[in-house]
Amino acid sequence: MSSKTSKGIRREKTLVFIDKNRIFILFGVVFLFMAIFAPRFMTTFNLTTIMRTTAMNATAAIGFTMILIIAQLDLSIGTIITFAGVVGLGLKQYIGYGGSIPIAILAGCLIGLINGLLVAKAKISSFIVTLGMLTILQGAIYTITRGNSISLSSPDAFAVSDWLSKMLIPLITPRVVITLILVAAFTVFLRFTRVGRNLYMVGGNRQTAWLAGINTDLYTIVTFVISGFTAAVGGVLFAMEGAAATLNLGDTSLMYVISAVIIGGTAMSGGKGGVLKSFFAILSLDVLYNGIILFGLGNEVKIFIAGVILATVVLYEAYTQYKHDKTVGQRSELLKEVDQLKEKLRASKQKIAG
Amino acid sequence: MEQAKYEAIKPGVLRHSVVNWVFVTIGVYLIAIVLLVLGIVLQLTGTINNFLTAQNMLNIIDAVSMLGIVAVGMAFVTYSGHYADLSVPTTMALTGIVAVEMLKFGFVAAMLSAIVVGFVVGLINAVAIGKFRANPIIWTLAVNYMSMGVIRLVWVNKQIYPDMTASTVRASEMFDAIFRLRFFDKIALPMVMMIILVIVLQFVMRRTKFGVQLKMTGAARTPARFSGINVERMIAIAFIICALTATIGGLAVTSLNRVGAWYNGKGYEFKAVTAVVIGGVTLAGGRGSIIGVLGGVLVIGILNNILTLLGVGTFSQDMIRGAIFIIVVFVNARSLRKMGRDYE
Amino acid sequence: MSDRQRVVALNMKNVTKRFPGTIAVNQVDFDVFAAEVHALVGENGAGKSTLMKMLAGSYDDYEGEIFIGDQKINLHFPAIAKANGIQMIYQELSLAMPISIAENVLVGRLPVTKLGLLDKQKTVEDTKKALERVGLGHLDPFMAIEEISQHEAQLVEIAKALWNEPCILVMDEPTSALSREEVELLFEIIDRLRNEGLAIVYISHHLPEVFRIADRVTVLRDGKKIATKDVADVTRQEVVQMMVGKSIAEFYRHESHATNKESLRVENLTRFGFFHEVSFRAYEGEVLGLGGLSGAGRSELGRALVGLDEVDYGSVNLHGKPLKIKNMSAAMARGIAYLTENRKSEGLALRLTLRENVLVSLVPRHTKGGVYKQSLGTPKLHELIEELTIIPPDPERTMNNLSGGNQQKVLLAKWMAIEPRVLILDEPTRGVDIGAKTIIHESIERLAQAGHTIILISSDLPELVALSSRILIMRQGRLIREMAKEESSEEIVLLAANGEGV
Repeated sequence: MSSKTSKGIRREKTLVFIDKNRIFILFGVVFLFMAIFAPRFMTTFNLTTIMRTTAMNATAAIGFTMILIIAQLDLSIGTIITFAGVVGLGLKQYIGYGGSIPIAILAGCLIGLINGLLVAKAKISSFIVTLGMLTILQGAIYTITRGNSISLSSPDAFAVSDWLSKMLIPLITPRVVITLILVAAFTVFLRFTRVGRNLYMVGGNRQTAWLAGINTDLYTIVTFVISGFTAAVGGVLFAMEGAAATLNLGDTSLMYVISAVIIGGTAMSGGKGGVLKSFFAILSLDVLYNGIILFGLGNEVKIFIAGVILATVVLYEAYTQYKHDKTVGQRSELLKEVDQLKEKLRASKQKIAG
Repeated sequence: MEQAKYEAIKPGVLRHSVVNWVFVTIGVYLIAIVLLVLGIVLQLTGTINNFLTAQNMLNIIDAVSMLGIVAVGMAFVTYSGHYADLSVPTTMALTGIVAVEMLKFGFVAAMLSAIVVGFVVGLINAVAIGKFRANPIIWTLAVNYMSMGVIRLVWVNKQIYPDMTASTVRASEMFDAIFRLRFFDKIALPMVMMIILVIVLQFVMRRTKFGVQLKMTGAARTPARFSGINVERMIAIAFIICALTATIGGLAVTSLNRVGAWYNGKGYEFKAVTAVVIGGVTLAGGRGSIIGVLGGVLVIGILNNILTLLGVGTFSQDMIRGAIFIIVVFVNARSLRKMGRDYE
Repeated sequence: MSDRQRVVALNMKNVTKRFPGTIAVNQVDFDVFAAEVHALVGENGAGKSTLMKMLAGSYDDYEGEIFIGDQKINLHFPAIAKANGIQMIYQELSLAMPISIAENVLVGRLPVTKLGLLDKQKTVEDTKKALERVGLGHLDPFMAIEEISQHEAQLVEIAKALWNEPCILVMDEPTSALSREEVELLFEIIDRLRNEGLAIVYISHHLPEVFRIADRVTVLRDGKKIATKDVADVTRQEVVQMMVGKSIAEFYRHESHATNKESLRVENLTRFGFFHEVSFRAYEGEVLGLGGLSGAGRSELGRALVGLDEVDYGSVNLHGKPLKIKNMSAAMARGIAYLTENRKSEGLALRLTLRENVLVSLVPRHTKGGVYKQSLGTPKLHELIEELTIIPPDPERTMNNLSGGNQQKVLLAKWMAIEPRVLILDEPTRGVDIGAKTIIHESIERLAQAGHTIILISSDLPELVALSSRILIMRQGRLIREMAKEESSEEIVLLAANGEGV
């Protein structure tokens, strides 16, 4: 699994450290770059805008991070976001925000529950279940809205949005507070509680977790519920924005969240990663996109860059794995003599074999 | 003596894979037949009209011919053990819009450039997934976004129209004809293309060296490599086939809509995977057939047709399709497990 | 030893387990004392794994009685087994790679503070305590399993089992992936555990190990117990006889068919970090044994010779012509092939049929113009099925329905099908019952007789010594010794592999 020379160990430890904390380093770099080079970046208005977009995407990323940790996939989060937004706004005129928002969030939980049950109990792969659910929800959304986006114009339509945007202290609005509370809570949960660590084991080796007495089915189901929950919260936050829910509200979110969570260091293979890292990844991406707009480049560039970043990260991970696999099984004693050997062989002019 | 022990252990196992294969493949056609019967019954009871007419049957096949073209290519990706190629929608749109743009150099130039672009996309997927083993779902999703970005960057959110870009009227007419040409006034070109593709690709999958080696690659990648199969090349070819069928499908859709735009092809990836899975090509790879995929496409077509005749809205149909997708995979996995084989 | 208090830790009385159409365990009595290592031996299909699964609590429908101490328990669930102090250690590690040692060892029961949060200090303490029992007290508890070596990971697995304070420890083939040094370390630990009072069930194919570590040995055959003996009172020959049920006097006797026509010449072959400056020659008709401890670089050498791995320096000549190949299919075309030691993960496609697995190597040969004719391979397929007595002889059966021994035969058939002039076999009888082993050995001899060159990589010393006309020893990536058949014996080979007596 690893070869060990003392210089090798030191170098390895540094690399491991960098690799484990790469997203924080990345964030620092991107932020610094934009702060120095992007026009109007360091204004309160701009930074608030960044915090606002981050808040909305980061909540959905929380649930998705947990899904990846247990080595599953949830492709339906985009449509759950849209669905929650539509429900949250659509029902307002009947039962007010106080009713429609909780129902929207409950709907998200319910969808997550169905996903979880199908994956854990019916044992269908999560790729299939969430793919099917995504299709079903798309149909449902169109059926409910009859193809029109929902926007409200009543005087209190923006009530929630305004409340969420009230500046408590510079850069911190209730919206941000909600997100930060959720991020903090889940970070603590995943890092410092037994149940949270058990979740990693479910993703790391399901069989072992089960044999150790961890109820893997329950963990799976609850994780999907949480994913639905956080996606719904995100969707509600999005919809409250302009008191409008368009039909593709959550479309870009899936891409966004997947990129961020993977960039942040949570692997699809499960068993590693974290919510804090995902949060910083979303933050980094937001800073990047914000900067792009500030530089005067359009939305199209953003989409393209989003794809490129994800592609780069995925390739990087795959390439690292590829390189690593090549060195598995190397003997440290032999590695020590490689340089001498190269000299000796070159000296006697051996030909390189095909 | 030991032989007796083995025969006794698994009484339920169907011992001959020929029977197995027939059962799994025909299974989907049985569903199609059941649906046909359902349609007939509904017509007889007066619930729907005009189901069992030649025109309606043609409508069904027309409606799914583009899906069929894309699905049979997607099937190779699934067969290779890499689930799905989610970059298909934008490949369709990109090749379509490139073709429309290049009509200014004539019809042939347009077709060739579309094929080249499709091939390049397929190659990009092939290298990342085949050689570097990137996760196929995430990678193709990323490529989807990059292609989308490219379309929107290069054509700046505009849509372009073939009748406006075409250098000659003839070129424009030919482009139009991609979707509209009919043989004997009844059989559309896309349908013909689909049938040709089904026949050719079924042969490729079953009887060529590539198909047989691809099967092993999908069933067990490392053993395939250790048996002398160039696994990377197999996967590369699978993704390129998928991109090329997406190109053909994209040209058809673009011709249908008479406009080059970024949304041509939207939704095709999910529909294609559904058809592939219903058709018996399991997600784990190494199992299934193109004939089965045709069956899957027909099932979707007949079902949609019946639902439309019943007055069910398009989007509700989507919902139903999503549910069926889940159910089919579930049943498939269950029955394979019962037969003593492994599951995905 | 004879005046030691003999407390019975485990007593299985007249246990039987039936499956549809077969009786896997048939009225077996099996008991283990505290402070004892009791080995369980038998061919594949003898019932060892079923008996073990019974102990693990996998079956709720067995007949007979099981006692822990003097208390009868219904061993119907894994949780019950655990609760009664039974811990299993399987060949496949149950550890999760990306997760730390501490969380693997203490899984499900991480220590928490009063607030419900993780108690980091206690976690470190507990983990270190657990690791010390297996000699790994120096490791950082928060290293991930993927960061430590395979050998250390196996010890962590044991530490994890010990953490549950078992009174009965069941080990299934614990040494198959270990080098001799690591096996010795393991045995030290087992000795220590025995002296602490643990009852240890040791399941193994390796008779030398059994005789080294066990106090008693029980032989199973066809689901029945043949005998239980004190290790001191029985010989290896007798044990093998009990396992196989027939006289094995003829068991190991193979002549050499080596000619002096050179088939393979390797000069200074080097792959940095894996093997350095390897040079040797092989001849037609020869079975060239390649011995050494695991990790010596033998498999890497084998793979490099067929292009599966890259090579940094050196040259290879096959029948006088230079061999410059980049991949396996080129190697196969030139007539050199490699049979992998991992039949399940690298050798066979378990979801495909027997036919597909055997004929895959012939596909390029039977293809014309891109079209592959499956039927061309059928005669050869049937010939091989018969020659190797593959059971069940059904070409359309999927591989995962076959026993280990038959799977291995299929793997061998695949390579015999292309009739390579040089065939490298890597552990061709690992995890294979004696019946299949004999058949495989006979095939190897027949191949040599027909003029092929066989390079036999094996950790099975009797096999290596019996089959080879010459033996090369590799140690730590270098070829250190060559010995002729007459001067070789298991002890000499083992010593040489350990670097002694060179």
